[in-house]
Parts: sequence; C-alpha cells; structure tokens
Amino acid sequence: MKMLIFACKWCGLIGADSAGKKRIQLPADFRVIPVECAALVEPDAVIRAFASGIAGVAVLGCHLGGCRFNHANHAAVKRLELLKTLLDATGIGGNRLLISFGTAHEDHQYAEVVKTFFEELRSLPSADLWM
Amino acid sequence: MSGIAVFLCRCFGEINRVIDLDSLQKKLEQDHSVVFFDVVESICLADDIKEAASRIRKSGAEKIVIGGCSHLARGTVVIDGLVREGMKRSAIRLVDLREACAWIHADDPANAVQKAWDLIRMEIAALYHRRESDNVTISVCPEVMIVGAGPAGLSAARTLGRLGFKVHLLERGSNPGGMLNLISHVYPSDEKAQEKIKLYVHEVEKNPLIHFYPKAKIKSITGFTGDFKVQVSSAAGEEMFRVGAVILASGARVWLPHGLYRYGKLKNVITQMEVERQFLKGPLTITSAVFIQCVGARNNERPYCATMCCPSSLKNAVRIRDENPDARVFILHRDIMTPGSTLEAYYRNALAKGVQFIRFEETNSPEMLGDERVEGVDVYDVINGIKIKLDTDLVVLSTPLVPNDDNVKLAGMLGLQLDRYGFFSEIYPLHPLETRVDGVFICGSARWPVSSDHAMMQGEGAAVKAAALLGRETVSALSLSRIPGEKFGHASVNAETCTGCGNCVAVCPFDACRLQKMGRKSISRVNKFRCKACGNCVSVCPNGTVQLPEHDYRAVGAMIKRAFGEESAL
Repeated sequence: MKMLIFACKWCGLIGADSAGKKRIQLPADFRVIPVECAALVEPDAVIRAFASGIAGVAVLGCHLGGCRFNHANHAAVKRLELLKTLLDATGIGGNRLLISFGTAHEDHQYAEVVKTFFEELRSLPSADLWM
Repeated sequence: MSGIAVFLCRCFGEINRVIDLDSLQKKLEQDHSVVFFDVVESICLADDIKEAASRIRKSGAEKIVIGGCSHLARGTVVIDGLVREGMKRSAIRLVDLREACAWIHADDPANAVQKAWDLIRMEIAALYHRRESDNVTISVCPEVMIVGAGPAGLSAARTLGRLGFKVHLLERGSNPGGMLNLISHVYPSDEKAQEKIKLYVHEVEKNPLIHFYPKAKIKSITGFTGDFKVQVSSAAGEEMFRVGAVILASGARVWLPHGLYRYGKLKNVITQMEVERQFLKGPLTITSAVFIQCVGARNNERPYCATMCCPSSLKNAVRIRDENPDARVFILHRDIMTPGSTLEAYYRNALAKGVQFIRFEETNSPEMLGDERVEGVDVYDVINGIKIKLDTDLVVLSTPLVPNDDNVKLAGMLGLQLDRYGFFSEIYPLHPLETRVDGVFICGSARWPVSSDHAMMQGEGAAVKAAALLGRETVSALSLSRIPGEKFGHASVNAETCTGCGNCVAVCPFDACRLQKMGRKSISRVNKFRCKACGNCVSVCPNGTVQLPEHDYRAVGAMIKRAFGEESAL
C-alpha cells in the first residue's frame, strides 16, 4: 500500500522529526516530500501521484489561522477540498486524499495520522483499480 | 550536466544499525548522475564539514545530497557549514535517513533500506531539476513615514529624528498627542498628560528632519520595503513622497457602551473618558462614585482585556478621594488587572486611600436604580454572597479600546493582516513590532490596547527596527528574512505563456502578484520583495506559467515518479 505525504515544513515535518526522536514504529510504505507550505502542493502533483500508482496522498499543513504565510493555507484547503470532489467523480475516491491541517504537529499525532490513514487505505481496493 | 556529490552519514552507527549503507553505496556506483559519493562516520562536526567541502571541490561536483539526520536535528548545521565553505545554499539537499527512516522503521530493516534508497534518489532527482531564483537589489530610501502622532508615533519620530533620518509624521487630527489630548493625568506616574506630550512635541517641532502633516489622509501606498510611494492629502495640500519604511502608530478608539447599564438614558452614567474630560476642566468634587469595570470587555464578543481600564479607574478613584476625603468610592470589578510592580503598588495605594472593591460575576452584573438620573446600584457581591445596594450619584463605566475603523483600509493598501478583532497583527512569536510585510512596523494601540508609557516604549522599539533597515544602503530580495527562517526564493512568471487570467493575483496572501498591461494583453508580475514563496500562485496557475525555481514542477514530478522504486531516468 503506497502512500505519499506532502508535509509542511512548519507542522507535518516537525511532527515527523519528533516521531523519529521518540522511535515510534511506523509502517515503511510511505514517503515524505517536504514542502515549505501546504499551498505549494499543486493539485496536478496529487493527480500525478495517483497516476503513478500511489494509493493515498496526505497533505499535512499548519492549522488554519496559524500559517507562516498569512492566509496561504486557507486557499490551499479550498483547492484540495475541490480536488477531493473531482477525485470522487473520477472514481479514485476523495477519501484517498487526506487533508489534515494542524493535526500532525506532535509525535503521537503524526504517528496517529499516518497509522489511521494506512488503515483506511487498506480497507479500500488497491491502486490497480485505476492503473 | 553538473555532477552531484552524495554523502551518507553513519551517525556513529545510529543509521547504520538499521540501514545497510554499504549496499546503498554499491547502488550509487551505477547512478551516472552521481560523480562522487562516500559513506562517512559523521558529517556534522566542524572537521567533517571542512573535509567534505574540500573533497567536493576536488571532485568538481556542484550539487550535494547529504543523507543523515533531519533539518531540525543537525541538518541545518551541516548546510550552514557548507555554505560558509563557499557552497550554494540552493545546491544542497538533505535526506532525512535517521529520524524519518532508521529510527521509525527499526523493526523492518529490509523495507527501511528500500525506503532510504528511494529517498536518496528522490532528492537526487529534485536537485537535478532545481533552479535558482534571480536576485534583485535596490537602494533603500532613507526616509520613514509614521502614521499617527500619538504617544507611540511621537516617540518613534523623536528616536528616528535623533538618529538622523528624515521623518514624515502623519496625524489624523490637527494637534499631535493623540489620545493624551483627551485625558488629564497618566498612570502610573500621575504626571499631567499635557506635560508628557510637551516633552516630545517640543523636540519634534525643533528637529528640522521631522515633517508634521496635520489633518492627513493617506490616499495610496504602493511599493515595497526600502521603496514605498505614498500619496497624502493634508492641511498643506496633496503631496507625494518616497519612504523606505512605514511605522503604523494609528492607535485605537474608545468603545461606547450604548445599551449597557442604561448608558445614554440615565443622567450621570458616563464613561471613563467623560470623567477625564471633567478632570481636564478642573477638580471634580462629588460625594460618591461607582466605577464598573469590564463593560463590553472580556465577554464573548470581545474576549480580551484592554489592560488600561483597571489602572485608569484606580487613578480616577484615588483622585476623587483626594479631592473629597469623605467621598464614598466603589470599584465594581470582575478581576483587578494590575500586572507589574508599579501597577500593583497603585492598587495597594487605592486600598490604603479607602477605595472599596466589590467583585461581581459576568452573568450577574450590577443593576442601575433610578428613573431620570442614577440614584443607586444593586450589585451581588460574589465573595460575601450578599446583594448590596449602593447609593450614588455618579456611575463610571470602564470600556475597552477597539480598533479604528480605517484599519481595514490601511491593511488593504499595505497587504497587512488584521487579527480577529481588527488590530494589526504582529509576527507571532518573537517579533512583536514587525508585520509580515517587510518594512512595515507596528507599535502602540494599533497592535493591541496599551498604556501611554508602553506605547512610547513600543514606539522607540519600532523606530530602532526601522532604523536597522533604513541604515542599509541596499536591500536585496533574497536577503529579506522570511520569518521564521531564511527566504529561499520567489515566484517567477514566464511572460510569453502568461494569459493574464488573474488567478495568482486573487490568491496571493502578500499582494505580490499584480496584473500589468503589456502590449495588447495583461500579464502577471511578481514583486520579488513582497513575495515570500508560499507557492499559492504556482498551485493555481492553469498552465504552469508561474514557477518557483527552487520548487520546480519537474522536480516534484521526478520525486513522485521515483518515490516507490521505479527506475526512471532523470
């Protein structure tokens, strides 16, 4: 079950770092792409990820109102929610895109987000569905 | 093609224990884009960095991938060290093999090795496609505009005038002094407010570098740090000037409690400001007074403490007792907020002078008695649990400061952010006088209700912050700090493919994107000084015209392709 995480440097990546320091054991099937802000996650990058056979994409950003770039992540969350409905329409399913803002700043929160998303992905058909 | 050097760090066995780095080394031999690679015991110590730099120089590689710990651990130290050795910051990428791989997958070494290899190849691909933003340098205009000539603005003007910068001091009214003109004495020093302004006004008027604009209105502000263009209409007529920095000291206004405690309907129910006005006229001799605190503050609508109402009530209560020692003075409060050594002493002084304090609850607030004019107050004393009837012929309501109505307009012109109440928001945390627009500083009650002496303190602080910018001859777009951390790039527009749809203009949180006429079509232009590289414009651009060179779409695409072991060429 392949999973890709776009982690904002000021939230998700800090959570990832402290989860590592706490040695919380996680499944190895995910890769993290660090971004400066969740706003940098282009919708077509998410689609490209699904197109290359990745089963789930998570975008971890700062909580709304806590963005380092004024209200940059407000626009990002709107854009990604819209993308979710488009994914529903294509049959891939919006639940394969996890938008999680302000929930992964600490070690256990980050581990929890990764684990629960893995569980959700396991309950869904594999990416061969659309490949 | 420029070569890539790869350093893998064993971290004294921490990474090695889980990930078999020697097998990765063998795989790296087959990668043609890598001209140099090595596995080292550690890379973050000073000697290691020096040695690595000399080996990279010898190998002729221009880009460097370092597999070791995360940015937050020792990664930044390694990058900073290599930059000091003369490497380009944009040409160094870190792969987090320790926190994000070895430590969290210790029970699954086979998959951990695969993951480490994928992560290294992802970064090699990203580095291959990464480009560098072009830098722009402008000269700084050594002048400053200060909006508002209250205590904060006056002290900022005085400081900057003393430092030798030309100051444009704008004031909405006709006299300098701001809210100090409306009150009789200031706490905690009990000086006359007029005397306090005079000290500053005297120096501001004497200094030829400080230009005062009474009855000023800002028509427009354009530009960016180091080079703002301002259009102002004032009593002297319309004027345009250039400034390098802007200090906002526009203050706040007093909220009027219409509809609360029958204010406006009963005579002798007045606000704190009206008491000040009576003290300005002369001594106020009355036999009894009741002060009610937290009127319209610390409730659901305004859940903040305005900080200056408790000390003001203490000050006026003591004055009434001083003028008529037989006067019965009560302060009805929800909590007395007097932080710091001087204000606590102020509270103790009021207690000693015979001011009486009664605590009430928000849900059970005092009631006014009387038909035409107030005759008494019914209050439920929380501490003693009894209802008390106070006979009085004056009720003073302490109301908070609320933001000025034109804050919205000013914030719109400068691209600033307001907080949920409408005050200008600072950069939280640790940068209390700076805003997210470089070159714009805030002080005084424009950022939060403060007392006059704190406003003066903040004014001086903002002035010094501005002086640090104005004192520089030039400023370059990439040297601006992007708080927190360092700015790593800015968006660039391909003028040939831009269709002028305006998506980026709508979404930019810093007002950096603007549409500009270019021949027959309009195209988007990015102001490199305002841009903070958040990437919103990149994400909404329909045809990939706007790009962040440091975060190129090809780099992201290559990273996604290589994320799960797929052997794809660069």
